[in-house]
Amino acid sequence: MDMNEESSEARKLKCGDTSKCFELLESILDGEVDNSKDMLKEKLAKCQPCFEHFHLEQAIRDVLKNKCTKQAVPNELADSIRRQIQEIK
Amino acid sequence: MSEVQRRKYSQEEKNGIFDGEFMPHIDSMYNFAYRLTFDEDDAKDLVQDTYLKAYRFINSFEKGTNAKAWLFRILKNSFINEYRRKSKQPAKVDYQEVETYYNSDDVDYQSTSDMRADSVKDMLGDEISNALNSLAVDFRTVIILCDLEGFTYEEMSKILDIPIGTVRSRLHRARNLLKEKLQGYAKNMGYNTDEEE
Repeated sequence: MDMNEESSEARKLKCGDTSKCFELLESILDGEVDNSKDMLKEKLAKCQPCFEHFHLEQAIRDVLKNKCTKQAVPNELADSIRRQIQEIK
Repeated sequence: MSEVQRRKYSQEEKNGIFDGEFMPHIDSMYNFAYRLTFDEDDAKDLVQDTYLKAYRFINSFEKGTNAKAWLFRILKNSFINEYRRKSKQPAKVDYQEVETYYNSDDVDYQSTSDMRADSVKDMLGDEISNALNSLAVDFRTVIILCDLEGFTYEEMSKILDIPIGTVRSRLHRARNLLKEKLQGYAKNMGYNTDEEE
């Protein structure tokens, strides 16, 4: 969802309700709001704090996904589990 | 994710479910366990216990439903009931209190609004990981479930036994806390975090 092209000229510098707006933006990023595309586009075009919050949240989600490397699973773990299951069968 | 209705699977069906539906999630399960315990041996024990419990209670799992969420719920409950109690961690924090304390969004916004998306993008994996690990376990958990594992709010609500509204607000607060930590790292990295570009 690239919203970077939006012009900042028309954006208001103060958000009327950051609490409500930011939670909504986060829910949109989490894929929890249906048909949010137009609503999001309008919001980001009109409000600078919402625009910044959205992009910051998006960046944090991206780094969490890409840089929080998965812990390597010990090789013997799956075998050990299967062995113990065999014992209780 | 029905746990009430019990079925009677044959041995062959049980093996099929265990190998086909449970074992493919071992990587995610271990990662979750490690991020809860911060210890390789404890994480291994926790995952092992979870799989043994899953096998023991396999008749309460409905074949073909959300095995990953079902397993995560067992793991989370095992952690709370056994590992957290026996570990030397401080006494359980009252998270209701923590959540109330961080309930002011004006304060949250004030303290994090000067951080730039660009400074986050340039952070190293260790910095992100350390920031996440430094959060209280209930806040850390919702971020892991949502952002690392991709669970929906509804799935998280079932895994954690809390209403969806609480999932949403806890996530919001967890993310604000994470941003505060990241902002600290950004400042240490020499990013100018409090002036307009």
